[in-house]
Amino acid sequence: MTCSPAIETAGLCKSYGSTRAVRDLNLTVQPNRITAFLGLNGAGKSTTIKMLLGMIKPTAGSGTVLGRRIDNPADSVAIRRAVAFVSEDKRLYSYMTVEQIVRFTSGFFPGWRSDLAAALMRKYELPPGRKVRHLSKGMRTKLDLLLAVSRHPALLILDEPSEGLDPLGIEQLLETLVTECADGTTVFFSSHQIAEVERISDQVCVIHKGGLVMDASLDALRQSWRQVDIVFASIPDQADFQMVGVERIRTRGRQMSIVASRNVEAIVERARDFQASTVDVTLVGLREIFLQTVEEN
Amino acid sequence: MLWYKAWLETRTRFLVAVAGITGLCSYVVYELGQDVTPRSTVDHYYSTLHSGHRLIAIMWLVAMSLLMMGGLVQEKAAGVSSFTLALPVSRARLMGVRIWAGLTQAAALAVLPWIVISAVFSVAGWPISLFQVRFYLLLLAGGGIVFAGVAVLISSLVDGQYTAPMLVLGVLLFCANAPRSLNSVNPLVFMSGRDYMARPDMLAGPIPWARLAANVGAAALFMFGSVKVVQNRDF
Amino acid sequence: MLIKLSTSAGQPLYLQLMQQIRHAIETGALRDGDQLPGIRTLAEELVVSPGTVAKAYSELEHEGALALHHGAGAFVCVNRRTRRFGDRVQAARERVDHLILRLRDEGLLDDEIRRLFEGGLLLPRVETVGKR
Repeated sequence: MTCSPAIETAGLCKSYGSTRAVRDLNLTVQPNRITAFLGLNGAGKSTTIKMLLGMIKPTAGSGTVLGRRIDNPADSVAIRRAVAFVSEDKRLYSYMTVEQIVRFTSGFFPGWRSDLAAALMRKYELPPGRKVRHLSKGMRTKLDLLLAVSRHPALLILDEPSEGLDPLGIEQLLETLVTECADGTTVFFSSHQIAEVERISDQVCVIHKGGLVMDASLDALRQSWRQVDIVFASIPDQADFQMVGVERIRTRGRQMSIVASRNVEAIVERARDFQASTVDVTLVGLREIFLQTVEEN
Repeated sequence: MLWYKAWLETRTRFLVAVAGITGLCSYVVYELGQDVTPRSTVDHYYSTLHSGHRLIAIMWLVAMSLLMMGGLVQEKAAGVSSFTLALPVSRARLMGVRIWAGLTQAAALAVLPWIVISAVFSVAGWPISLFQVRFYLLLLAGGGIVFAGVAVLISSLVDGQYTAPMLVLGVLLFCANAPRSLNSVNPLVFMSGRDYMARPDMLAGPIPWARLAANVGAAALFMFGSVKVVQNRDF
Repeated sequence: MLIKLSTSAGQPLYLQLMQQIRHAIETGALRDGDQLPGIRTLAEELVVSPGTVAKAYSELEHEGALALHHGAGAFVCVNRRTRRFGDRVQAARERVDHLILRLRDEGLLDDEIRRLFEGGLLLPRVETVGKR
């Protein structure tokens, strides 16, 4: 892509005392796409997102969002004018009613889409007069989403948006994200739900122990990762299969199972050299790829 | 819009305080008025004002400390700071609106009782000394603003919805029981007006502008400090 | 046209989408000049990234199976090339059906046949790997 990235960080670090929450993170998010941000709990997802929005100051490194520096206070305000954020907490002002918080938020954004806000209010079945403190977590999440997308942001960042939603709520969330992306909004969201990531994302970034361990298009992942199951007459040494692209080898009895990110041809070739009796090649799902990447690092 | 938020956030506290202070004023004017027949009207008048001032001051301090609570650090404890900080507003502006909203409400709460008392007095046909009322108000505001500053600072330093108000209460109690050597800097002593009494219950002499200015300066310093603290914090 | 994409299949969604559109053209469910839903509409309907639909459409345009008119949408083109391709697929299907019948006769279960086909397709193109 030739357009400048929506998010770009270089050597971004955040330490809390001796704990390094984010270390040397080089993250690039392309515009007009849906990018998923995966990682285990405590991998540094939320810390990274909060640094992008100016809520946490980086210890080292730099970053830009929509071309503006995240560590410059004036730039940070400009970033937040064009970026909407749905936080992990999904907590809103308990003392406001749904209607009041919609009015409150709309006041900060000249491009506020009242028609969309009204449509989503009906779609999500949010009671306008109810106090936020009396909303269920699912309703709060939907309200938070409404407040985010009605801003008509250039970039929409969501931290585990589907957490606490029922299946219908998740479906509505994904539909909203797809519509937003079709309207030209860049979507960047963290999630633990591999199934939803597999459905709507174009790109997958994996963070582990504060560093980026994978940044690939989902199509490329699906096209290149394979599992090769081989049965041998007499099992060869695992070391013989430590080849380029091999991510994991497991042996049980006379069976060997290899997960490879590429170079499948050579692996099959090698198997035949060792007189394999059967060679089966199967597809690998994103869940497997994710776990593999995280375990390996 | 931030003012709208500040109002919605604090209006329950504010209205409760208004109700409480108005109730207190009625008590001051009516109850205290009943049992002082031997004295002259003027004596009775000053004594009512003085006891009224003391009662109002205590109630007002508590109300104001609670009104000054809130802000980003308390919002973080409640999990809503992420929403506030994602708005396109600088932290200094967030703090500024909050402090001004608190001060405006505190000012309204300080003036209100004196309006009520004056109104009742004029209906009853009693004399009103504007000098006394103005002096009491300046004492109230001039001492109270220091506590407002302390409340803002504490609520910017301490997480937890109950820890901060308890600490402010602690500071108030400390000032109430502070050693005499600290009298010259104790805002509570300043508020009581005991240094400016011509008689046990009548204020006299020049208004202490210098000390008032010093108190305002100290409060401004506390507030400036709390803005700096919040600006440099991670949320 | 009814499209159903599966995330568990492991195959890229845009390829699944392309195959299903091609299939609909081959079976006559889509005819020459038929209009397909716009990228946005189809993405919303399938709840997939608009990028996925855009990629499938542009690849199909490249193949000559679709004509994209900016703003107006995507239209099916059945030309000589796609028709010939359709015929080839038809002929291949008959051979595959025949093979499957024979394999069943030889006592193989459908699951085993499916696994063999899928595995065979995933093997490298250049050589034919002996499986015995």
